[in-house]
Amino acid sequence: MAETKYDVLIIGSGASGGMAAYTLTKKGIKCLMLDAGPPIDFDRQRVNKSAHELPFRGFGKPGKLSHVFQATEFNANQWVDETQVSYTHDPKEPYNWVRVRMIGGKSLFWARMSFRLSDYEFRAKDHDGYGDNWPISYSDLAPYYDQVEPIFRVRGRRDGLMQLPDGVFIEDTSGESECNKRFIAAARERGIPNTKMRTSMGRGQFASSFNLLLPDALATGNLTIVPNAVVREITVDKNTGLANGVNFLDRQSHREMHATARVVVVGASCLESTRLLLNSGIANSSGVLGHYLHDQFYITQSVQAVVPEARDGKSPNGFSGGFIGGGGYMPRFRNLKTKEKNFLRGYALDWSTGGSPDAKYFPLYGEALQKAVESCRGAGFSCTVMGEVLPRADSQVRVNKTVTDAWGIPVLHIQTHYTSNEFNMAKDAIATLEELCHTCGWEVLGRHDQMFPPGYSIHELGTCRMGDSPKTSVLNKWNQSWDIKNLFVVDGSSFVTGGSQNPTMTILSLSMRASDYLAEQMRKGEI
Amino acid sequence: MKRRRFIQALAATPAAPALLAQQVQPSQQAPPAEASLRYSLPDAAAEPVLHFFTAQQFAALRKLSDFLMPPVNGAPGALEAKAPEFLDFLLSQSPADRQQLYRSGLDGLNAQARKRFNKLFADVDAGQTDTLLAPLRDPWSYDAPADPVAAFLRAVKDDVRRATTNSREWNLAASAGRTRGGGGALYWLPID
Repeated sequence: MAETKYDVLIIGSGASGGMAAYTLTKKGIKCLMLDAGPPIDFDRQRVNKSAHELPFRGFGKPGKLSHVFQATEFNANQWVDETQVSYTHDPKEPYNWVRVRMIGGKSLFWARMSFRLSDYEFRAKDHDGYGDNWPISYSDLAPYYDQVEPIFRVRGRRDGLMQLPDGVFIEDTSGESECNKRFIAAARERGIPNTKMRTSMGRGQFASSFNLLLPDALATGNLTIVPNAVVREITVDKNTGLANGVNFLDRQSHREMHATARVVVVGASCLESTRLLLNSGIANSSGVLGHYLHDQFYITQSVQAVVPEARDGKSPNGFSGGFIGGGGYMPRFRNLKTKEKNFLRGYALDWSTGGSPDAKYFPLYGEALQKAVESCRGAGFSCTVMGEVLPRADSQVRVNKTVTDAWGIPVLHIQTHYTSNEFNMAKDAIATLEELCHTCGWEVLGRHDQMFPPGYSIHELGTCRMGDSPKTSVLNKWNQSWDIKNLFVVDGSSFVTGGSQNPTMTILSLSMRASDYLAEQMRKGEI
Repeated sequence: MKRRRFIQALAATPAAPALLAQQVQPSQQAPPAEASLRYSLPDAAAEPVLHFFTAQQFAALRKLSDFLMPPVNGAPGALEAKAPEFLDFLLSQSPADRQQLYRSGLDGLNAQARKRFNKLFADVDAGQTDTLLAPLRDPWSYDAPADPVAAFLRAVKDDVRRATTNSREWNLAASAGRTRGGGGALYWLPID
C-alpha cells in the first residue's frame, strides 16, 4: 500500500527531472520521482586502476558499446548497455544514442559547458525564414537562467555578445597566454569573437542534479525517490482523459507496479521521454511527436596544429602571462549580420593550446616518432567544432514493436542523418580554423571535416517540440501537453531549435519555468 | 579465493564432507582480512598462449612492432611490453573486419617482402623495412588509405603504441622515472 498520495510524479532524476523536483518541492508540493537507474555510491563504485590492470589493456572489450564513442575500458560500465536497452536504425544512417541510467542521469557526466540561447535561436524563423520560432522569446527565459546559473555556479566572462547572452557568472578574470592572444587577435581581424569558456563549477566533484538539486528537494520532506523503476507506460483515466500515473517495472526483479499522482512530469531525456509517450499512445494529436530530432554535430580534433616556438619544452604552460596554454570559446559568428552562400545558421569553436598532439598525426615511426611526440609535448593547438543542426520533420523516431528491451518494452527506431547544410557548415569551419592557424604561424599537422554520427554530442533535442498551435506541436509554451493538461515534458525534447550552444542551462531553465507555472496552476486549482 | 567460493570448490570434491567439516571449525573464528592478501596479474606470472595469427603472420607482427616502437631512453619497447602477444589476444576477440585488416595486412607485408627482397618480412633488414613501411611516411589524413597494407600499417602503428604504453612494463618504467605515462584512472566497477 502506497504510504503517501503524491501531487506530482516525476520521471527521471537528471537535469530536467531534478530541477522539477527542486522547484516543486520548495513550494510544498509532494513529489514522487522514479528513475530507471540505481543510486550510486561513487566511492565504492570506482577504483583507481592502471590500464595494464584492465582485461583488455585499456582498449576495451571489442564490440562493446559500439555506438558510444565516449566509452573507454575505464568508464564502460557507466553507460547504458546497448544490448540491454537496444534501439534500431538503418545501417546506412547510424545514430549514436548515448545514455546513462543512474540517479542524477547524464548530469553526472556532462562537459559542464553552460550557455544561454539567444533570440537568434528563439526567433530563428524571424531571422532567416527557416523552420519555426519558439513560442517564447529570450526575455521569457532570461529570469530563469538568472536563477539556474548561481545554483550551478557558472564561471564565465561577460562580453556583451548578442548571440551568447551574458549570465549571472562567477567572473572569470584569468588572463591569456601569448599564443592565445595571437589566436584571438587573428580571429578578431576576421570578425570572430571570443570569450572564456562558460563552465558550471558545481560543488565538490559534481555539477549535477545528484548534488545540487536532489539534496535540497529531499530536505523539504516533499520528495520521495524510487530508483530502479523502469517506467513502461503513462496511464490515463478513461473518463477524464487525464494522466493518472504510470506503470513501471523494478529494474532487477521486473516486478510491475503502478504509481499514481495528480500530475505527471516527464524528464527522462529527449528520446526516452518520447519513447514513453509513443509507447503510451498519448499526447500525439498533432502527429508531430517523434519528429524534428536534432542536436549539434561535433568534429573533435578538427584542426591539430603545433606552435613552433613552444617545441622542445621551451615554453612551459601558463594560463596567465605564460607563452602557451588555456583556451576559449568562439560562439556562432556566421549568418548574424551577413548571409552565407551555402548554409544557414552557424557553429561554435571550443579551442585550446598547450596540449600534446597524438602520435597518429606524425608521418613517422620508431625512434623518430617518439622524439617528435616528445618534442611537441605541450606545444599543440586543437579545436572542436560544434554546429547547429537544422530541425527537420523527416528526422524522426518511432516505436519498433518487433524489438523489445530487457524489460519487454518496445524500443525506438531512429531515422536521421546530416545534410548539405551541416556538411557545408563543417567545411567552412575547418577552412576558417586552418586559415587562423596559418595566420598565427602554426604548423597544421592534420585537419578534417568529418563529423561524428548524429547523437554523438549527447544533445538530442526536439522530438516533443513546443509551439503556438496544437496542430503543429506537442507542448504549449509552458512545456504542457496540448492534449493532456496534467502532463508536462520538461527535458530537451521540448526544444524547437538548438543553436550551437550546449543545451543543459536551457533545459534546466525550461524545467524551472514549467514547474513554476505548474505550481501556480495547481494552487489556483486549474490542474 | 573468497571463502564462499572456496567452500563451494570443496563441496564439489568427493572428499567434501570430511574436508568441509574440518574447514567449518576455523571459519567460526574471525575470517582473515582480505586486504592483507596480495595478488598478481597474470602477465607477471605467466606467458600468453597465442591463438590468432599464423606463425608467419606473428613473426611479421613481432618484427613490425619492434620497428614501430623500439626501446628508447629506458622506456620499454613493444617486444618487452609483449605488445604483439597482446594484439594476438585482442584480435582474436575483435570483429571480423578488424581481423581481416590485420590478416591481410600481415600477409600483404610478407608478399611484398618476398616480391622485392625474396624474404619474409621477419627477415628483411632495416633499410628494406623502411622501404616497405613507406605508407607510414605519408601525411596524416582522416580517411584510411584504400590500399589494405597501408590501411593496416596505419592501424597497427596506433595499436602497437597503445599496447606498449598501456603495458605493465611501461607502467613500471614510468614508476621508476624512465618514461612518462602509464598512470591510472578511475575504473567503474560493473553496476549490479
